[in-house]
Amino acid sequence: MGDAGLIVEGLAVQYPTGRGALHAVQDVSLAVAPGEVLGLVGESGSGKSTVLLALLGLLAPGTVRARRMDYDGHDLLRGAPSLRGRRIGMVFQDTAAALNPALTVGVQLTEPMRLHLGRSRAAAWARGTELLAETGIPRPGEIMRAYPHQLSGGMKQRVGIAAALATEPDLLLLDEPTTALDVTVEAQILALLHELRARRGLSMLLVSHNLGIVDRLCDTVAVLYAGRVAEVGPAGDVLHRPRHPYTKGLLAALPRPDRPHAGRLAPIPGGLPDLVAPEPGCAFRPRCAFAAPGCEMPQHLAGAPNAAACHRAAALSGVAWPFEEVERRLPAPVAAVPLLDARDLTARFESGGWVGRMLGRGRSVLAVDKVSLRIGAGEVVGLVGESGCGKSTLGRLLLRLLPSEGGEIRFDGEAVGARPGVPFRRRAQIVFQNPDSSLNPRQTVGTILGRAVRWFGTAEDVEAEVGRLLDLVRLPRRYAARAPHQLSGGEKQRVGIARALASRPDFLVCDEAVSALDVSVQAAVLNLLRDLRDELGVAYLFISHDIGVIAHIADRIAVMYHGTIVEEGPAEAVLRPPYHPYTELLLSSVPLIGQRRAVPPRVERVVPGGGCKFAARCPRYLGPVCDTVPPVRVAGPGHMILCHVPLPVLEAVPHWLAPAAAPMESVS
Amino acid sequence: MTALAGTMPGMRRPSVLLVGGVVLGLIVLACLVGTVWTPFEPTAFSVRARLQAPGPLHPFGTDEFGRDVLSRVLAGGYLSLATGAGAMAISLVLGVPLGLLAAFHRGWTDEAIMRGVDLLISLPPVLLGLLVLAVTPPSLWKTIAVVGLVYVPILVRLTRAVALGLLQEEFVQAARARGEGALPILWHEVLPNAWPPIIVECGLRVTFAILLGSALSFLGLGPQPPASEWGLMIAGGRDFLTQAPWICLAPGLCLCVLLVSVNLVGEGLRERLDPHHGGGHG
Repeated sequence: MGDAGLIVEGLAVQYPTGRGALHAVQDVSLAVAPGEVLGLVGESGSGKSTVLLALLGLLAPGTVRARRMDYDGHDLLRGAPSLRGRRIGMVFQDTAAALNPALTVGVQLTEPMRLHLGRSRAAAWARGTELLAETGIPRPGEIMRAYPHQLSGGMKQRVGIAAALATEPDLLLLDEPTTALDVTVEAQILALLHELRARRGLSMLLVSHNLGIVDRLCDTVAVLYAGRVAEVGPAGDVLHRPRHPYTKGLLAALPRPDRPHAGRLAPIPGGLPDLVAPEPGCAFRPRCAFAAPGCEMPQHLAGAPNAAACHRAAALSGVAWPFEEVERRLPAPVAAVPLLDARDLTARFESGGWVGRMLGRGRSVLAVDKVSLRIGAGEVVGLVGESGCGKSTLGRLLLRLLPSEGGEIRFDGEAVGARPGVPFRRRAQIVFQNPDSSLNPRQTVGTILGRAVRWFGTAEDVEAEVGRLLDLVRLPRRYAARAPHQLSGGEKQRVGIARALASRPDFLVCDEAVSALDVSVQAAVLNLLRDLRDELGVAYLFISHDIGVIAHIADRIAVMYHGTIVEEGPAEAVLRPPYHPYTELLLSSVPLIGQRRAVPPRVERVVPGGGCKFAARCPRYLGPVCDTVPPVRVAGPGHMILCHVPLPVLEAVPHWLAPAAAPMESVS
Repeated sequence: MTALAGTMPGMRRPSVLLVGGVVLGLIVLACLVGTVWTPFEPTAFSVRARLQAPGPLHPFGTDEFGRDVLSRVLAGGYLSLATGAGAMAISLVLGVPLGLLAAFHRGWTDEAIMRGVDLLISLPPVLLGLLVLAVTPPSLWKTIAVVGLVYVPILVRLTRAVALGLLQEEFVQAARARGEGALPILWHEVLPNAWPPIIVECGLRVTFAILLGSALSFLGLGPQPPASEWGLMIAGGRDFLTQAPWICLAPGLCLCVLLVSVNLVGEGLRERLDPHHGGGHG
């Protein structure tokens, strides 16, 4: 390999804390050859972002040590500032924060060129416009003069990539570059990165928690756990024939849309070890299903083609992470009267304040547009859609937490008024997304649960009932005395679920209830929700942007676009043709492990509005007929598609998992 | 990396509360003692002892009527303390509920409260004092009421801003999903989390309230001579500032020490009230 490219040997990073040094990264060795893409995967706290910061020389002096940290023969330990932003470009996760809101795109794009390359203003401007065009931005000349807030999230990320390319670097460091984006936009950005790599021969170091996008883009993958490399090797081998138990566990914990309803997920028990006092042996040992004597010894990377830091790797070859096989529960019998029957719910958000509204200057956005939804007892309905499509608003409308303009809700056959009383509240509850915001920081777990129990009067002995709720969500009873900040993210989410269950409800709205959790924890919470459904017969409206999660848990799926449900039906029916064109776009955008698929082309057209909402982005746009309100097509029992395209045409669409979908590149 | 933020050593901070608390406690104790006992009669004239410099007999000196300044400072201290504490109590009792109400009931209630507050804040505090105190005979409780009223708008705005943020939190949404009304939500979910910024603000405002109370006294709109409110003493002593600076300096310095100690206590309380401070890590 020689001295070309990025070579890191024995990188260690320590942060000082009140309890002593925290070993965030220990003995990490990596190499990125010219033109190669290395993926660095791990859950939160694994140290993957710290490695990036160390490479860029952005950590406080004295915290970074390495036997060797070179880029093309230049020592990064001392010389990082002279290479950073010049030969090494950086793309951040949150471009909204990485771009200065007060400067135009053009100024931010040309500044590095003028600073590092000494180009004239005019030359830099011309080059900046070219770069924007290269990253697939339409009307680059106009965008150069735009401010960041005028751009969408995907456009901002393209600008971020263009800015990183401005100084013609040969190595790009990408920190979760698509995590903040919708899945369709993510697919576009990944395709762009792939194309840039092929055209410019760029090397990349991609940091991500998402194994799907890593498989999509990387030649080599390094799996990080607790600041150490657990496994490293060619992407195909690591992700398809993992040798380290942690990699096996991660893959088993991932809900995958290509395997809907595949029994239970296999969670990894426990949490990250304390990095202030790291143990010399395998850090994964306490959570490992295969732990055995010898694991307490220091582990070294060994084996080929993928090297694993596990002394049992050879013995475990071909052994999968264990998980209990559970019989798939039959779908709930459909009662004559659905548990929840909502018709024509509408939500409109006004802006401009009351004075503006009185003067007729207020603007309103139709977040939910006459949506009707039925949910049967014990049924799990998955609601999927991109951010801003109104899915959370619909969840709150169903619980009457937001006022609806017209429409009606019937719960168990009875009408629910605009301000429902405790009897309805008792039966319909909600689980929130953000574990940090969903628990009152000044109350103990016992108080949080006890308040709900007292409010609904579900039990005489509040303490015993709190204990029962903790049992239900598989938390030890002693957790009643803990404060929220003493819990991990997954534990907080369990308390949130227990609180929603305090009234013994029949219906739960789960609003992105597992989206903020790491994969290994998410699997456990998903399993818990599934068990609770089976034990208690609770019906869920499961809102998520993650189709893998929805496909895993839902009996029925509703796909929402711009305030309208465009397709709804049994899970198996929605996940195979005929699809609504939007469903097709969503499904084909999901990065799947082992499938490098063609990215659907991005479509933008100007439509008069008032007709089909998806017409502006629809790849199957028929013509002016699509600018009128689409008809409801019945594709099967309980399966509706809201589209002008005739059913036979939609049925002829290839299955989204079919290999015939012109693979961009075969799996290595 | 985020887990690191809260783990820095906090050995220096608790002493802030301790130092402030001890000093404030001593001042309060001295002022309480001063209401029942002082070294000299605070209002007793003594022609022979006029304008004496600080010495062993009169540690803070004497004023133009030969009154012992130390005794006067001790006897009048409770007036300043009462102004600060009383005014803050009034602002809290009026301001916090109004702020919570405005935040919870967006729309007309909010508009009515906030425009009322705007009206109140647009009046200069001293003018407000003049308005009330000039037309009716001045007295201590009126000073307290006026100063308290002056700080109501600030507390309403602060409370409303803090509560608006908290009402968006998911634990408040959860309480709404249980069907809880305004009172239980505000009392159990919002108020406990709103206290830290309000307490800090109050700590800061007590000092301003004492100053404003003293300023009103200085203008003759508070307690009347021969009462020895500290602002009044400073006002009375300013004619002798060159010959006998101690008449002003003694109450002035006392005021300074009082204000600093109150501030320290406020700052220390904020540290203490932070739920992430002490006990576990996460």
